[in-house]
Amino acid sequence: MAWQLFSPLDAIVEGKFTLVTFGKRTIGVTRLRGALHAVLNYCPHAGAPVCAGHIQGYVTSTGPGQIGYDAERKILRCPWHHWEFDLETGEGGCAGTGRIKTYPTRETDGAVWVDI
Amino acid sequence: MEHPLIDTDVHQNIPAEAWPQYLAEPYKSEVAAFGPRRFGYGVRFEDGGNRWDVKDPAGRSPDIHPDLMTMQLLDTYGTRYALLTGTKGSVAGIPDVDYAAALCRGFNDYTIDVWLRADPRYLMGIFIGLGDPALAVQEIERLAGHPQVKFVCFYGATTIPFGQRFYWPIYEACARHGLPIHLHPATTALSANPATSAAGTASTYLEAHIGVSQNYQGHLVSLVLEGVFEKFPTLKFAFVEGGFAWVPHVLWRMDKEFKGLRHQAPWLKRLPSEYVRQHIRFATQPMEEPTRPSQILPFFEILDAENLLIYASDYPHFDFDPPEILPRGLSDTARRKILHDNAAEFFGLR
Repeated sequence: MAWQLFSPLDAIVEGKFTLVTFGKRTIGVTRLRGALHAVLNYCPHAGAPVCAGHIQGYVTSTGPGQIGYDAERKILRCPWHHWEFDLETGEGGCAGTGRIKTYPTRETDGAVWVDI
Repeated sequence: MEHPLIDTDVHQNIPAEAWPQYLAEPYKSEVAAFGPRRFGYGVRFEDGGNRWDVKDPAGRSPDIHPDLMTMQLLDTYGTRYALLTGTKGSVAGIPDVDYAAALCRGFNDYTIDVWLRADPRYLMGIFIGLGDPALAVQEIERLAGHPQVKFVCFYGATTIPFGQRFYWPIYEACARHGLPIHLHPATTALSANPATSAAGTASTYLEAHIGVSQNYQGHLVSLVLEGVFEKFPTLKFAFVEGGFAWVPHVLWRMDKEFKGLRHQAPWLKRLPSEYVRQHIRFATQPMEEPTRPSQILPFFEILDAENLLIYASDYPHFDFDPPEILPRGLSDTARRKILHDNAAEFFGLR
């Protein structure tokens, strides 16, 4: 792991991924409600560019017929098959979906850094 | 090696002349005068549906003569228990829910009086009309607790898939009494079916009977994804006479699609296939018969048939399967579980 300069801070867009390639890896960074999130642009299911997906909340339920919505959770859904991944942890939305790779981020002197 | 046997699909009937005695008014008088209402199946059964060799020299048929059934089936095959599943699946197609309830009540009482008393190896399911869940629950409450009443009969002919909340009062009663639901085809009850195949209405019994698996797929997907087994964690379903080679396809597809569309069934806490493995069993008859018999074995392995299948003969119907129908190459343990142990555990038979 090593901190790599990702981009100027003003290149990061709220709710959309900015992509930078490091060697064979393309990493996407976005900002959501003030927090930066960095993920590998690769879905563990079929290798889709997961950063082209949608970021949504998480549909919840306390039992059949009970539907809620956790707007605070940040869920990235893959553009190809719409699998869900938690942007904070990388974990899949249900059993059997694996996880996406996430990276620590930091902001320093107007730039974004990613620990790759 | 010989194994004990539990047969999960044995068809008893009621002779036409017995109906008036077992129906309440006003249906008693109606049936005495005009006979039971006729429901147009619209397709030809195979000569009434029975094997050609089951009548005795006096012309008696085993489905209305318990002594004959006992001799031909239970004593011949060493059956420990026979689950009586009736022949009134057409009740699913009766639009008059009060008449359907009266018919079920009469049929249940007849079965208790004549069949359960004939031999303790006979176990019965409670016939209910599916058009009015409140009436169905009344009948379940009336008969649950009888020592030979072990399940509730459902028929795969309905315009409402079984997962939907319309049926939940029935499921509540079944779960509370520990009664599994036994699903049997009635897809030929045309008036109960918007279509007897997923492509439309089948022209013949041949087509409709092959299409039972399509009907069952719809019900299975509905039961799991609507969250029935989250709502009723002890509820169990036996899918009988609908085959089983289709099951892996549906389980794989459910699990795959759920991963992307989980938000449409957010109440599920596990992958859909896990609910099936915990709550649903599939009967062996009619046994899948591939071109080369050995080709069935990979399906057994994929399905985990050793744990999910239960034996059924369908006696005395013409597509009867003897216990010897199980494929060669099956382990002795698997054979015992399919012929006996799985059903014993599922239906709570000691």
